[in-house]
Amino acid sequence: MQRIVPTWTFLLRLPRRSFSYRLALAAGLVALFVAIPLAYIFIRAAGAEPAAWERLLQTRIWLLLGNTLLLVLAVTSGALAIGVSMAWLTERTDLPGRRFLRWMLALPLAIPAYIGGIVHLALLRPRGGMIPKVLEALFGQPVFTPSPLGFWGAAFILTLFTFPYVYLLSGAAFRSLHASLEEAARTLGCRPWQALWRVTLPALRPGLAAGALLVALDILAEYGTVALLRYETFSSAIFVQLSGRYDRSAASVLSGVLVSLAVLILWFEVRLQGQARFTQMESGWRPAPPVALGRWRAAAFLLAAGVVFASLVVPVGVLLAWSVQALLDPATLQMVFQSGSRGLGDFLWNSLWTSSLAAGAAVALALPVALFAVRYPNRLSRWIARFCQVGYAIPGVVIALSLVLLVNRALPFLYATPLVIVIAYVLRHMPQAVRAAESALRQLSPTLEEAARMAGRSAGSAFLQVTLPLILPGLLAGAALVFLTSLKELPATLLLRPAGFDTLAVRVWIWASDGFYAQAAPAALLLVLASALPLSFLLRREHIFK
Amino acid sequence: MTTLSVHNISKRFPQSLQPAVSNVSFDLQDGEILALVGPSGCGKTTTLRLIAGLERPDAGSIAIQGRVVASEVVFLPPERRGVGMVFQDHALFPHLNVQENVAFGLRGKKPAEIRATVREMLHLVGLEALAGRFPHALSGGERQRVALARALAPRPVLVLMDEPFSSLDNDLRLEMREQVRGLLQAMRATVLFVTHDQEEALYMGNRLAVFQSGRLEQLGAPEQIFHASATRFVAEFMGNSSFLTGEVTLNGICTEVGLLPQTVALPPSTQVEVAVRADDVDFHPDRNGNGVIIDRTFRGVMNIYRLRLDSGLTLHAFKEHTAILPVGERVQAFINAGHDLNVFMEGRRV
Repeated sequence: MQRIVPTWTFLLRLPRRSFSYRLALAAGLVALFVAIPLAYIFIRAAGAEPAAWERLLQTRIWLLLGNTLLLVLAVTSGALAIGVSMAWLTERTDLPGRRFLRWMLALPLAIPAYIGGIVHLALLRPRGGMIPKVLEALFGQPVFTPSPLGFWGAAFILTLFTFPYVYLLSGAAFRSLHASLEEAARTLGCRPWQALWRVTLPALRPGLAAGALLVALDILAEYGTVALLRYETFSSAIFVQLSGRYDRSAASVLSGVLVSLAVLILWFEVRLQGQARFTQMESGWRPAPPVALGRWRAAAFLLAAGVVFASLVVPVGVLLAWSVQALLDPATLQMVFQSGSRGLGDFLWNSLWTSSLAAGAAVALALPVALFAVRYPNRLSRWIARFCQVGYAIPGVVIALSLVLLVNRALPFLYATPLVIVIAYVLRHMPQAVRAAESALRQLSPTLEEAARMAGRSAGSAFLQVTLPLILPGLLAGAALVFLTSLKELPATLLLRPAGFDTLAVRVWIWASDGFYAQAAPAALLLVLASALPLSFLLRREHIFK
Repeated sequence: MTTLSVHNISKRFPQSLQPAVSNVSFDLQDGEILALVGPSGCGKTTTLRLIAGLERPDAGSIAIQGRVVASEVVFLPPERRGVGMVFQDHALFPHLNVQENVAFGLRGKKPAEIRATVREMLHLVGLEALAGRFPHALSGGERQRVALARALAPRPVLVLMDEPFSSLDNDLRLEMREQVRGLLQAMRATVLFVTHDQEEALYMGNRLAVFQSGRLEQLGAPEQIFHASATRFVAEFMGNSSFLTGEVTLNGICTEVGLLPQTVALPPSTQVEVAVRADDVDFHPDRNGNGVIIDRTFRGVMNIYRLRLDSGLTLHAFKEHTAILPVGERVQAFINAGHDLNVFMEGRRV
């Protein structure tokens, strides 16, 4: 957690090194690169003709605001409830099979929510869904099944595929907690449940807030699922304005409001964290002994298994079944591997190279920012590091809009090239790279570099020979995270791609929207698999996943 | 009145072969401070946790103020034992400020009463000014005092302290233990205090309980532990003793540094060990002596010499601060105790 130090205390502890102008310039340029698209949205929103504002204020904005906030609230609470309870079960109790369940509960992160949505929709759709059909055949009459469409469906699906954020962060928090905190509560008169409510959960607040923030921002940016389940939010409305009606000034206005909303949530989280900077106590750390579930063991296991079933087994199982169906049917097989001049291989290649390039670029750009912030801590460097993290708060559709407008105006040679997609990925996912690089650098003592300097290395070769090899694992983790999220990205890719440039995500989306589920399934499976690899690399960095 | 009575308790953890605590019994009187001392892993902390109710004994019983809280058939959870505990890492709740931490154990009382108690406790530990601070903004000594105030606030019949000063640096540790001892004595609190530091145990405890490998080696007043160590281990751990091998004769014990005129009830030519501390040993320069000076440490008020006897045994000896002799000098070492020394046969005092 970033410590907020008043400027004067910084002056007392003047850094050993003087200010580096070169590094400041590099970090400043990166910040500028991030700032321009964001600022441009606000300029366009403010510059939209008053009529557009008035029209939107009268009709759409309030409805969208209500819809969006309601969904954010519902999914965040749902993800917190599931994520925290699953983390408690796997980290603090004697739940059977918890080592295995840890993986199963983290893996839904590899499944984009819209793919999960496609599967659940195909299963449960009111008319023509697989389950209602089977039930009707069985009972000879239509049987009521819950519909995945609309608010409840969207909230359900998005909760299922975003709770792992909360699960992973609160699981880490549960593990880092001292056994003695709960024991102290017990000796002061708390029963075990009271200790959980009065001490453990409140002490976990920073971890929970971080998880909730990720979920909330993810929901603000979500396009695929809400469009699929016909629930209108800011993101999907902006998408429609951009792709269908082509009303850029209305889209700008909506984007301005959406980004303000995201920044508000981000600010709220920073405030929450700032009030509660919980120290990690150093000495005598001991993990808390697991709670014996006793006769609740079976019920708890069924609950965890149910979550795994809905969020992992069902989507992967159905995709597998559809894929087999596609491979057995020559006509579909033909479509999968050869649509026009392109096939599955091309989509995979497009996905991989754009995401890898974005991951590499994001880490390369994040490095000077992180170096500047960690090695020369001052107001400017801190501000730049913070600013480079606003990408979290800018949904893909907004970045797409901004880039469409900017590229058209300023960089026409980039127009309709896949490079614009890569730029969008970098802008949106750089925060992950900045955070990873920062934390890797913070774990490294600056005296290591100083020792290399004393041994006769120049600043540059000290960095290359000592610092870089040591922070490389951290940088790779950042790159894996950017790669993973870029691979799953849908709305910006849909809006920015040149005609005929399909990635796996795009193809799955288009085929599934047209109802060709079997045809979409192999591509979706490939996408899930390609995401699961960097995800498992990231999970393995945590010792409990080894 | 007996506040705590521990009877034959044993505890073995599933993963280990050795019992962590084996057959330990002792009583604690009202207003007494008992220090449990021993090397790390000797079972002293486990004993404390058994009394707190954080672990369950395999055998034996524990009674607090005459009420059995743990036995083969009874097990009272920690929240129902009325015992306060100060943890090694202090375990302050990070989401609560100082005042709320101290008030944590007072739930269920009237608000006015809670406020008064918290104010009183913070006054006692001298932290009124920091009532609104969060734990992360406190220094080590301040955290320590909050932890103590929190443990004392519900007026427990017994206070358990698990190495409470071990996370503080040296100067602060000395200062804190003076403050804490004064406070505990002023409140007439009954305290069980765990430490691995002999000096701290001597300072804090009215009585000492020396532990080794899960067993209680000796229980007694500090002077008794020091002057009449029950086992070789106690003499070694508590007194930094060296051990001279000797043979019993009719006139005393014959050792490498001469005849010790001290009679023991053992037949002649029995092999024994004599515990000697630096203050029991003296020497003078002698070219035909029995040892050589290998090191001298100047301590201001005295010199500490390290001697190597011809047998290879190393002895420590105090000399006045003006007696400065060069390293390498051959000397004649002898016993100059002025009191009986502890003599051990097969590790036990004779």
